[in-house]
Amino acid sequence: MKYCILTFRSVTFAQRGESALRKAGIDCSLIRTPKNLSSRGCGYSLRLKERDANEAVERLHGDGIAFGKLYTVHPDGTAQEWQT
Amino acid sequence: MIYLDYGATSFHKPQSVRRAVQEAMLRCANPGRGGYDAAIEATRTVYRCRETAAELFSCQPEQVVFTANCTHGLNIAIRTLVKPGKAVVISGFEHNAVTRPLHGLKADVRVAGRKLFDPADTLEEFEKHLRTGASAAVFTHVSNVFGYILPVEEMAALCRQYGVPFIVDAAQSAGALPVGLSELGADFIAMPGHKGLLGPQGTGILLCGREPEPLMFGGTGSESIRQEMPDFLPDRLEPGTQNVPGIAGLHAGLQFLKRTGIANIGRREQQAARRCAGLLERLGLQVFAGPHQAGTVSFLCRKDCEEAAQILARQGIALRAGLHCAPLAHESAGTLETGTVRVSFGYDASDSQTEALGRAIRRSGLA
Repeated sequence: MKYCILTFRSVTFAQRGESALRKAGIDCSLIRTPKNLSSRGCGYSLRLKERDANEAVERLHGDGIAFGKLYTVHPDGTAQEWQT
Repeated sequence: MIYLDYGATSFHKPQSVRRAVQEAMLRCANPGRGGYDAAIEATRTVYRCRETAAELFSCQPEQVVFTANCTHGLNIAIRTLVKPGKAVVISGFEHNAVTRPLHGLKADVRVAGRKLFDPADTLEEFEKHLRTGASAAVFTHVSNVFGYILPVEEMAALCRQYGVPFIVDAAQSAGALPVGLSELGADFIAMPGHKGLLGPQGTGILLCGREPEPLMFGGTGSESIRQEMPDFLPDRLEPGTQNVPGIAGLHAGLQFLKRTGIANIGRREQQAARRCAGLLERLGLQVFAGPHQAGTVSFLCRKDCEEAAQILARQGIALRAGLHCAPLAHESAGTLETGTVRVSFGYDASDSQTEALGRAIRRSGLA
């Protein structure tokens, strides 16, 4: 099953994002950023349903919470970056 | 024991603080490092505290940096703003946590305002020094020796007016008086976690209004590929493993403050200090009291201050005597030679504490 990953530079921002998305009723979970999506090494991301991705991005922009990149992760493990 | 040394630390913590520390030790691994349950729980524990502190001190969670104590935060802030040999304005009531780092940097320290309980004098002198040129200002919110509440809002406004970056030492005010990063427009506000915020010893908070220079370097669990410290907060200032049980306890302390109300606690402490000062004066002691006083009162009696504190300790009264790590404040008040005996109230301040102190003083012939 496909899902999305939103990356963040710091675990603090990832949790700010998590808090904002949950307040908006968007289900998400805090995870370690997969190594292949982490160009700078180590970090945390939010995992969420693909159908919630657009709303999540809008909410984060609206709340001024900086995030890195948004990916769709396919069942075969490949990731595709979104243009946000 | 009647505990009247809240200026040093809050000894009697709420039960919820003790419980939170124990829970964290049972449930938390290293925060911001792993993805398994105990690591995520630690990460969430730290963030919850950051979020609550941000709410209480009006800033964003990432502007809340956890430190080992207030001194640690002040050192980071001072090292960021003050360059060797540059002019720095401080109040006449600063603690060694401010004056020693400045001395170490060989800063050109200019002391402004020496009169106790006199905000007009503090402001006049402070502005005079700002006008003649200063690269930074550092000032305490409340004197740890005398409880004098400095006019920090006006001092902050003057700094902004003259374009001088500034640091507020909220060691004695956080948890008892309003402290807000955005309201003051401060570059940094440092506070201990273990005094008015009711957390365990070994905790502190530095609120950052600007990008700081790191004092320590190391792993942050972020951007590990780079050798430079991260350029974002709080990671820039938080290398190494955080004091998770301490931060969990601090969070419980902050929640206690939210429930009780900081204004209520401050009022209670100030009222206790006023009543205590009145009683000590009636006993014929030399008391340092005045308007603009927080929950701390200093006094002098017939005996050496340290001896008096020892006598009172034997009668179950815990308070502190001497210079209180603030020789500058004692110099300003004219008590550098004698020191003082200091009574400092906390969130549990009550008339019965003052009455017990009065009885002990009478019994031991200190009055």
